[in-house]
Amino acid sequence: MTQTVGQQLIIAAIPGLPALVFLVLALFGRYLKEGAQYVAIFGVATSLVFSFFALLSVAGVIGDGQPIEFAVNWIDLGEGGSFQMGVYIDGLAAVMLVVVCFVSLMIQLYSGGFMQDDARFAWYYAVLNLFTASMLGLVLAPNFIELYVFWELVGLCSYLLIGHWFEKPQAARAATKAFIVTRIGDAALFIGIIMFWRATGTTSYQGIAEAAQAGFIGGSLFTAAVVLVFVGAIGKSAQFPLHVWLPDAMEGPTPVSALIHAATMVAAGVYLVARTYDIFVQSPAAMLVVAYIGGFTALMAATMALTKKDIKRVIAYSTVSQLGYMMLALGIGSFTAGIFHLYNHAFFKALLFLCAGSIIYAMNSYNVFEMGGLRHRMPITFWTMVIAGLSLAGIFPLSGFWSKDAVVASVFAEHFYVLFGMALLTVFLTAFYIFRAIFLAFMGEPRSEAAGEAVESPGIMTGPMVILAFLSVVSGFVGTPIRNYFAEFVVPSAFAAETLALEPEAFSFVLAALSVAMAVAGIALAYAFYVPKPEWASALAYRFSSVYTFLDKGWYFDDLYDRVFVRPAMATGRFVREFDRRTLSGLISGVGRGFLGAGERLRPLQTGGVQNYALFILLSVLVLGVIVGAIAGAQYAFLMVALIAVVTLTAVAVGARL
Amino acid sequence: MPPQAQQFIDALNATIPLEGYLVVGAIMFAIGAWGALIRRNAVVVFMCIELMINAVNLTLVAFADYLPGARGAGVGYAVLVIAVAAAEVAVGLAIALAVYRTRKTVNVDEVDLMKG
Repeated sequence: MTQTVGQQLIIAAIPGLPALVFLVLALFGRYLKEGAQYVAIFGVATSLVFSFFALLSVAGVIGDGQPIEFAVNWIDLGEGGSFQMGVYIDGLAAVMLVVVCFVSLMIQLYSGGFMQDDARFAWYYAVLNLFTASMLGLVLAPNFIELYVFWELVGLCSYLLIGHWFEKPQAARAATKAFIVTRIGDAALFIGIIMFWRATGTTSYQGIAEAAQAGFIGGSLFTAAVVLVFVGAIGKSAQFPLHVWLPDAMEGPTPVSALIHAATMVAAGVYLVARTYDIFVQSPAAMLVVAYIGGFTALMAATMALTKKDIKRVIAYSTVSQLGYMMLALGIGSFTAGIFHLYNHAFFKALLFLCAGSIIYAMNSYNVFEMGGLRHRMPITFWTMVIAGLSLAGIFPLSGFWSKDAVVASVFAEHFYVLFGMALLTVFLTAFYIFRAIFLAFMGEPRSEAAGEAVESPGIMTGPMVILAFLSVVSGFVGTPIRNYFAEFVVPSAFAAETLALEPEAFSFVLAALSVAMAVAGIALAYAFYVPKPEWASALAYRFSSVYTFLDKGWYFDDLYDRVFVRPAMATGRFVREFDRRTLSGLISGVGRGFLGAGERLRPLQTGGVQNYALFILLSVLVLGVIVGAIAGAQYAFLMVALIAVVTLTAVAVGARL
Repeated sequence: MPPQAQQFIDALNATIPLEGYLVVGAIMFAIGAWGALIRRNAVVVFMCIELMINAVNLTLVAFADYLPGARGAGVGYAVLVIAVAAAEVAVGLAIALAVYRTRKTVNVDEVDLMKG
């Protein structure tokens, strides 16, 4: 379909405005100071309005309901083709645009309170907006090259924001770790893109999907390329085995964690798989990899979250686990369920982080064992967090229930029974760990002085929390089995649906009841362990201390990577440094010293005596003469030289005697 | 006239071969070089340099006569050398004078400011 220039400008302004805000704040932030937030909020609010315009246009309310699509040439290689910068908005992209803008807006409102008095307030807002702009650009991208540009920008912004408090060494390390670990995925993604481009001559998703259908790329090469693209998604979405950066990323400011976990960074990986679904479905092997990585990650991260003391880390592992659900759904072919979960997850996960931030703001501690009894002191935070927790646990009728149930049900319907068991177990663990954190923080007696004196956060922070809590309840209603608007709007392409040959699944009351029962059991167990009988939990932890430590250390992944990758890399670095210092540097300065020494040796030749110089000149002429004479064989020249030689030697002899 | 005398006169009248000039030039050059290398008095050193220059001039002129193909280039060159030598002596003696005024000596051994 074609749009007017005005419409195209509005679409381009969706990522353009936050990018502009970034420039303004980066250049004039020092004059705006606290005023920076108003500029930022104005920018992202306008983007949100424009995103709604795109959503309504794609939905057919104000337009023709066709995907919005346009592009300009970016790099023209002549014969070699060209790279385009463009826009492609279908239902999936439109929903993502609205979610990203909305969550970003909520977080920017909240940050005004949370980041008050921060030394780099304006810079924080600047990067927050660049982050939003990058993610919006990534969502709009119709081809891999454009996606990759924004993909890297997202990585850069996450680095800057995680390391916002870079004076803390842990924050600086966490930022570096996040950057390096995701770069592994990025490198794989780039290799995948190059493989596709080499084989098909295009980088557009549609072009590659069509080329693969037509057989220009296939077999193991195709599978390898698809899996490499998925490795990129693994890195960004913190899936096993590249999940280690996300818990450490908690060193950043809490609103940043909310943004990273809900809308921008980690959603990018899931979105990439969904966006390139036409390519993924053509490789059943790659789809299986996606499904099993997702299912395994969901379970693994849920177990890791069980024992964490840091409330933000509990939520961080929960993100890893929930992203695993999304990957699992996409991998088994349940496109809509996966994206639906991504959409619902954005709201309740952002809310969980904002609640955690509110607690941290109130008592300046991350440790749940130092909290307790906050129920009465922070009622808004308590109730919003309970709503978010229930939604995360998947309790009827909150939003998390609808999407999680859709995922679990489709896993069962597609006959992946092992994955189904893992998913169901994860539901139980999820409910347990999130309510463990909530009960520890809000119930019982205050376990520290700070907890006893905590007060509710200001309205600028609780406001966004209440809005998000409302959405955590209702956002799922667009996808209920009664009338599934979401599934009508966000659909895989006809080609993908045909390739997967999915059967339309009916809502299963048995499965829904089963998953809710698991969740309730988890909550009940958490209640039993942490409210009436807290000593049970510590006794159990003591009894199975090795298991406890294993979970607490995150299955020793950090230690493993430290041994296998980090230390050898460090050792290589040290070796290279020593090689550089000893061998190369020694070589260079050795040459220098050689010339210095030679100069020192030659110094006595410069006697300052004119006659010595004359003697050298004469001797040189003699030598030259001998050479010329020998080459040319000229008798007279030779004769002259012989004569000069005799005279000179006599002169030297006489001179020496005098 | 006795035959020996006639022989002597013939020998004197005979064209002097090139080697004669060259040998004389070489000897002059050698004496000049020897003097320039071993004499301490700067003025004498200059005189020896003049001797070397004139040895070269003699050689040039001899070759100019001996090699008609050169069309007298050697002679022209000799004139140039004489001019340069005059300039060189002017400068050189001025230096010697300046050295004498500052150091009260013309002994080249004692002038070694440039010693490395």
